[in-house]
Amino acid sequence: MTKLGRQIEIGPTDNTSNERTPRNRLHLIPDAARASFVPWAPRIQGLDPAEADLTRLAPGRPRAEGDPIKVTGKVMDEFGRPIRNSIIEIWNANKFGRYSHIEDHSGLQLDPNFLGLGRTVSNDQGEYEFWTIRPGAYLARPDINRWRPKHIHFSIRGGSSRLITQMYFDGDEHNDTDPMRILMGDNFHVNIGKEYETPDEDFDSGYQFDIVIGGKNPTFFENI
Amino acid sequence: MTHSNKKINRLIPTNEDTIGPYYPISFCDGDSIDMATTKNGIIFKPEGEQIKVNGCVRDINGNLANGVLLEFWQANAKGVYRTPDNINDPDIDPWFTGYGRYRTMDGNFTLKTIKPGRCGDRAPNITLTIFSDGIMRVVTQLFFENDPANDQDPLLQVVPEDLRERLMIKKTKENEYFIEIIMAGENETPFFDDLLS
Ligand SMILES: [Fe+3]
Repeated sequence: MTKLGRQIEIGPTDNTSNERTPRNRLHLIPDAARASFVPWAPRIQGLDPAEADLTRLAPGRPRAEGDPIKVTGKVMDEFGRPIRNSIIEIWNANKFGRYSHIEDHSGLQLDPNFLGLGRTVSNDQGEYEFWTIRPGAYLARPDINRWRPKHIHFSIRGGSSRLITQMYFDGDEHNDTDPMRILMGDNFHVNIGKEYETPDEDFDSGYQFDIVIGGKNPTFFENI
Repeated sequence: MTHSNKKINRLIPTNEDTIGPYYPISFCDGDSIDMATTKNGIIFKPEGEQIKVNGCVRDINGNLANGVLLEFWQANAKGVYRTPDNINDPDIDPWFTGYGRYRTMDGNFTLKTIKPGRCGDRAPNITLTIFSDGIMRVVTQLFFENDPANDQDPLLQVVPEDLRERLMIKKTKENEYFIEIIMAGENETPFFDDLLS
């Protein structure tokens, strides 16, 4: 049987997904062209460590509303090898389910102390850590009463790795009806942050979210 | 939280997800869709033909795809990619990274760059990754119309002949080009699978 490229599925009941999902199967890349598909993003100069703390606008400023949480994890390839120096960007809605993004027209409550976006770089073991506020679920499509469960958006880039994903929360009442969750099928569990206690720290709880980047993308520059 | 896939003894990859409508615009601050100019007012410029590629991204209805995030990646004028593997290559251009990123508000873009060189049997090309609300990441490679190297390019060979046209950047005037990316439907741009390949 000849191997075929993936057929991307249209996310259920989502207009944008219908309008923008390629209908044709993806073409497989021949070996001779494979390496050219792996960009090497230049380093971001002077990344401020405070950018990993989303619970305040800046050190010393008041804390945002809601439950402060810690999100930790390791970025690795399918063989468990750490992916170092990758730029990890996260963004999430505030306690009320509102993004500070200028195009979020939901009208939900803003929190002047919560920007909801941050960046960090994975260390030599591939590990990262963020502090944020547990996001609220939000009504993404009022016309069809469709909610997005609580989630944190992740983008990983730098080096040769590239992944856009979301971390979900176990037991959210909207998980089962979420179109993105439905597309993940039996593999949804890998996108759930595993909750752990943080008894001596000023967090409501911690979440371990390990990220495995599949395919050949993370392994082209193994010496790095 | 390591989930091993017993059959092939590998970890299960984290699922790709859409970027959603609210990717923070400020994350792109400091990124550039102008690879042809050196930052910080330095007089040096990358080697090669300075070009402008005007383009747009459209959806299944022919409407501009607003809010998409575009990532460009290409070799320098001598056909060398700036990767860690090539760090000691004498043909690396110190003034050219080959990496650019741009979030387009309305679906149009103008990439300023230099014309990439030929790399072995690879015809000059620009890799484009598109991130958008509603889809996972999609990846393609764009070529220059009428380039003699196109006939031998191993990637173009796997694209059915009648579809190759859709990957061609067309010259509109001296140093200026145009490409239309169609994400879905009739005249859909061919996309590639960089996870299974
Ligand atoms: Fe979201």
